[in-house]
Amino acid sequence: MSKFVSTRVPDAPEEHISQEEKAELEFGTLTSKDYLYSVHYDPTRPLNPAVDEPPYFIVIFTYLNYLILIIIGHLKDFFGKRFMPQYFEAVLPKNGYPPWYSAFESFYPRRLKKRLDDCFSRPICGVPGRFVRCFDRISPDYNESFLYSGELKSLLNLSSYNYLGFAQSVGCCTDASIKSLEKYGTSSYGPRTQIGTSDLQIETEKLVAKFVGKDDSLMFAMGYGTNANLFTSLVNSKCLVISDALNHSSIRFGIRLSGAAVKVFPHNDMKALEKILRESISQGQSKTHRPWKKILVCVEGLYSMEGDLCDLPALVALRDKYKFYLFMDEAHSIGAMGKSGKGICDYFGISPSKVDMLMGTFTKSFGAAGGYVAANQDIIDRLRLDISTNVYGESMPPAVVTQINTSLRVLIGELNGDEGKERLQRIAFNSRYLRLGLKRLGFIVYGVDDSPVIPLLLYAPPKMPAFSRMMYERGVAVVVVGYPATELISSRVRLCVSASLTKEDIDKILTICDEIGDKLYLKFSSGISGGEKNPGDYEKGIAPRWSLQEVLERTPEDCKK
Amino acid sequence: MSVVTTTLIQNTDGAPEFVISFVSNSVKFWEQFIQGVEKVPGGLFVLNYIRASHKNDPWRTLLEILLALVAIRYFFASKYSQDEKEKVHLSEREVQELIDDWQPEPFAPPLRKEERWQLDAIPFVEGAAGNRVSIRDPKTGATIPNLLNMASKDYLNMALNKTVRDRAIQTIRNCGVGACSPMNFYGTQDVHVRFCENLAQWLGAEETILYGQDYCTPTSVLPCFLKRGDIVVVDGGVPVALQKAALISRCHIEWYNHNDLDHLEEILESLQEELSEGPPNRRFIMTEGLSENFGDSPDLKRLVEIKNKYKFRLFLDESLSIGTLGPNGRGLPEVYGIPRSEIEVTVGSMANAFGSSGGFCVGCHDMAYHQILSSNAYVFSAALPPYSASATSAVISLLQQEEKPGQVNKWVKPLQDNTKLLHSLISKSSKLKNLVILRSADYSPLIHLRIDPVLREQLQFPGSYGGPGSEVKKAFKNGHEDGYFSRDYNTESYLLQTIIDKLIGSGVLITRTKRVLLHELLPVVPTLMINVNAGFSQNEIVEAFERIETAVYSTLHGLDAQAVGLLARSLE
Repeated sequence: MSKFVSTRVPDAPEEHISQEEKAELEFGTLTSKDYLYSVHYDPTRPLNPAVDEPPYFIVIFTYLNYLILIIIGHLKDFFGKRFMPQYFEAVLPKNGYPPWYSAFESFYPRRLKKRLDDCFSRPICGVPGRFVRCFDRISPDYNESFLYSGELKSLLNLSSYNYLGFAQSVGCCTDASIKSLEKYGTSSYGPRTQIGTSDLQIETEKLVAKFVGKDDSLMFAMGYGTNANLFTSLVNSKCLVISDALNHSSIRFGIRLSGAAVKVFPHNDMKALEKILRESISQGQSKTHRPWKKILVCVEGLYSMEGDLCDLPALVALRDKYKFYLFMDEAHSIGAMGKSGKGICDYFGISPSKVDMLMGTFTKSFGAAGGYVAANQDIIDRLRLDISTNVYGESMPPAVVTQINTSLRVLIGELNGDEGKERLQRIAFNSRYLRLGLKRLGFIVYGVDDSPVIPLLLYAPPKMPAFSRMMYERGVAVVVVGYPATELISSRVRLCVSASLTKEDIDKILTICDEIGDKLYLKFSSGISGGEKNPGDYEKGIAPRWSLQEVLERTPEDCKK
Repeated sequence: MSVVTTTLIQNTDGAPEFVISFVSNSVKFWEQFIQGVEKVPGGLFVLNYIRASHKNDPWRTLLEILLALVAIRYFFASKYSQDEKEKVHLSEREVQELIDDWQPEPFAPPLRKEERWQLDAIPFVEGAAGNRVSIRDPKTGATIPNLLNMASKDYLNMALNKTVRDRAIQTIRNCGVGACSPMNFYGTQDVHVRFCENLAQWLGAEETILYGQDYCTPTSVLPCFLKRGDIVVVDGGVPVALQKAALISRCHIEWYNHNDLDHLEEILESLQEELSEGPPNRRFIMTEGLSENFGDSPDLKRLVEIKNKYKFRLFLDESLSIGTLGPNGRGLPEVYGIPRSEIEVTVGSMANAFGSSGGFCVGCHDMAYHQILSSNAYVFSAALPPYSASATSAVISLLQQEEKPGQVNKWVKPLQDNTKLLHSLISKSSKLKNLVILRSADYSPLIHLRIDPVLREQLQFPGSYGGPGSEVKKAFKNGHEDGYFSRDYNTESYLLQTIIDKLIGSGVLITRTKRVLLHELLPVVPTLMINVNAGFSQNEIVEAFERIETAVYSTLHGLDAQAVGLLARSLE
C-alpha cells in the first residue's frame, strides 16, 4: 500500500520546534565574517559579460527535441480527438458552446508544459525562507492529478524572491506586522482616494521615497497591477513608448492598455535604441509626421530571466541628449542591488533624479507584497488623483504596509543596528560565490556578478523537469523556466539567491549541481563569460573545468575579487 | 538538351570571344544543374513535370517563373516597407536640428490650481477605519475623532473581527507576511489551497483562482477567454475594471443599456445572423451582481434564460454582491435561487464584504485551469499574502456556522436591516425631495445620492460627463492633456465635497464618486456615496441620516446657478 493516498493538499502538521530553531531554518546565522562582500561598481569592466554560446550539437539537439514533442503532440491531438474525445472535452465544442480555449492556443501547455507540471505549483507550508517545505506528492496519471502522502520535504530554497531574507515568521518585522494587524484590522477598507489612505500608508510612502531618492511615492496592493495600470495615466496615443524587448509582461500589458505607440529595441542594445530615438524624433508620428507629445523609454533595472542589468549610464547619457522620459522597473533590483540596497542608481552611483520614474515591488526583497512608483512631487500628486488602481482598486492592507516599513528601517539601519548592512553584504557574497562556482564547474550562466538572479542554461527541454526533480530529490528547490518565458531554445533554471543562505548551504548546492551537471551533461561553457581557470584560456580554446574540490577551496576568496 | 547546346555553339560566327565563352559556360553550368537536380530524390519527377507542362503551354512556364520571383521578393522584403515608404528623407543635419528642436510635454500634466482641493479631500485616516474613525484635518493637522464611518467598504464589519484577526495572525506566525513567489512556482501555501476549496464549496463552484488585487482580476481573467473575433455584450453601467477588461481583449464589444434586459435580447437577436456564419466564436455577457456605479442588480433569472437561449456565457462581477446579497451573503444567485454553475465566470473581491484583501475568480475546472496557464496577473505576479487567504477563510467559516435554513444569516442580517432602514428614511424624507434622488435599489448597502436632475439643470450642470463623444474623450484621442479636465465636473464634485465636509463637522464620514473621466468609457454623473455597515446600530443609522439630511438640505436648498458660478470661481 502506497503512502500517497490523498488527492487533497494536506494541512500543515503541528510543529514542535523552538523559536530559535525556527528562526535558523528561516534565516541562517552567518558562519564567518569572511563571507561578506560590499558591492562596488567598477566602470572599467564590461557591464554585462559576453553571452556564452552552447556547442552546435546542443542547439540542434534542442530543436530536434521540440520537433519530436510537437509531432507527437499533434499526432496525439489528431487521433485523440477522434478516438478518445472524453479526454478532449476542454477544447471541443459542447452543447453548442465553443470550447473555453482552442486546441491551438493551448497546444503548448497541454502537450509540452503538462509533462513537467509536477515541477510547478508545488504546494508548500510555512515561511519560504532559507528552507522551503513542500508537500511530497506523486502523479499517478502523468500530471493530471497528484497524490499526497501528508509528509513534508524540507528543501534549500533557491526559488523564492527572498533576496534579503525578510521572509520570516520570527523577528521584529513580523512582530510589527502582527501589532499593526491587531490595530488596523485585516482590510484596507477601500480605494486610496475614498478611505484607504492611512497614517501608516503615508508614513511608509515617505520612507520609500526617501529610500529611493525621490520626492514622493505611491504604493499599490499588487506589483503587477502597479505597472499594468500606470501607463494610461502617463501616455496617450500621441506618445511613443520605447520598450526593451525583454521587459516584464506587466509593463507590456500596461503600455498596451494606454494605447500609446510602441517601438521595441533589442535587449540592452543602446545603439539600436539611439537609432530608434533619432528616427522617431525626426520622423514624428506615423502618417501625420507631427512631433511626438512625449517619448518614454521603459527598461528594467535587473532583468529577472537574464540576471543582467540595464545599461543605466548609457541610458542617462541618451536621456540628456534626446530629452525622453526614463522609466525604470526595479522589481528585482530594489533592496538587492547597490551598496545600500537602493537599487540600480545606487549600484552605478547615478543620481535618482536622472531617472524620471522609479518603480519597484515589495514582494522580492522586503518579504511583503505590492508595488510602488516614485517620482517628483508634481507627478505623484497627479497620479494620486488619476491613477486607476488608486481610485477604483483596493489599497495595500495594513500588515503588508508595516512589513515594508519595518524591513526598510532595518535596511537603512534605523532598527537592529548593523543587521541591514549584514543582509546586504551577505546577498552580495552569496550571489558572487554561487555564480562564480557554477561558472568554474563549467555551466553556462548568464548575468552580472552582483546580481542575485542566476540563470543556469539547460537548453534541451527534457532537462528542465530532470534538473528540477533531481534537485528536489537532493533537497534543493529551484524554478525552471522555458518557452514562452524565454527564447525557444534557451530553457533555463533560475536560481534566486538569498541573504538567508549560509556559505555552507551554497557549498552543498554547488556539490549537488556538480553531480547533476555531469549526469545531465550541462557543463559545456567555453569560458568566455569569465569562467576561465587561467587567464587567456578562452583564447586558446581551453574550456574551464575545475574540480569540485578546487571550486570549494578557492572560490570563496576569488569571488570577492 | 545537348542538341540545343551544339546548335548554340555552332551559330556563333562573328560574336566576341567573351560572349561565346560566357554562353558556353552558362550552358555547361545549366546542364550540370539539371543533372544535379535529377540526382536529388524526386528531382526527376519534378523535371519531367516541368517539361511536360512547358510542352503543353510555354506561357505557363513564364507565368510560374514570374510567380516564383514575386514570392521570393515578398519573402525577403522588409517587414516595415510600408513605413519606409512613408518616411521623409532627411539629411543628418536636418535630423539633428529636429532633435534639438523637439520639446516634450511634461511627463504628467501638473495639477491645476482648481484641482488641488481634491488632494485635501482624500481623508487621511488615523488608525483603523472601522465603524468609528478618526481623520486628520487637512488644514490644521488636528485630529477629528470618532466619526461615524460610512465610507468603508467593509460591509460585514469583519476587518476588526477578533476571530478573523486571530486567524490572520496565526498565519503570519507560520508563514510570514508575503508569499515571495508566484502561485505557479513555490507560492502556493496550504492556506491558499484551503481558502480556494472553502470559497468554491461555499459558493457551489468547482474551483477558485486567486489574485493579488481585486482591480486586476477582471482585466486579467477576461482576456484569457476572449480574443480577436470573439464577442462580449457588456452592461452599459459597468465600472472601469470591466470596461478595460473588455477593451484589452480586443474582441468585438456591444453595449446594452444598464440592466435593460430587453435591450440585451434585442442586441443578441440582431447578432444571430452574424454569429451563425463562420467558425464558432466565444461569446460572453458581462455584468455585475450589484452595480458599483448605480447600486442595483439585474434580473438574474431572466438573464440566465437569455444567455442559455442564445448560448452566451455569463461573466458576473460579484465584487459588491458577495457577502451583502442573499440570506447568507452568497450573492445575487442566492437571491434568485440559481445554482452557481449557471454562471460560467464569477469574479469578486475579498477587500469589500470579506474585509480582507485580494480578488478571486470561481467557475468550472476547465476555465480555472486555463487561467493557471495564461492569466497574466496570475502567472506573472506574486501570490496573495497567505494571511489574507486565511482571514477570508475565517470569514467564510463564520458565515457558514450561522447558516440556518429559512433564516437570514446572523452576520448578514444587520447589514441588510440597516440598509433597508437607511433607504426608507432617505426615500421618505420630505426635506431631501427635489434636492437629491436615491439612485440605488433598497437592497444595496452602497447608496448613491445624486443631485436631482431638475436641480442639476437649474444649476446648469450638463446631463453627464465624459463618455463617448465627450470633450474629454476627444482630448484623449488627440493627446491634449489639458483637455482631460472638465470644469463643470470639478465644480459639481466640489459642491458634493462641501456636503461631505459639513458632515465631517457633524460627526459622519461619507464619500463621493471620485471617478477619473480619462479612464471612463461611459458617461459619469457624480454622486454622494454612503456605505452601510453591519456594525451600526439602528440608532446610529437614524442619527447619521438626520445629519446627512441636514447637510444636504443646508447646501443644496435654495442654491442657484449664480452661487455655483461663485463656487467654481473660488477654486481658481
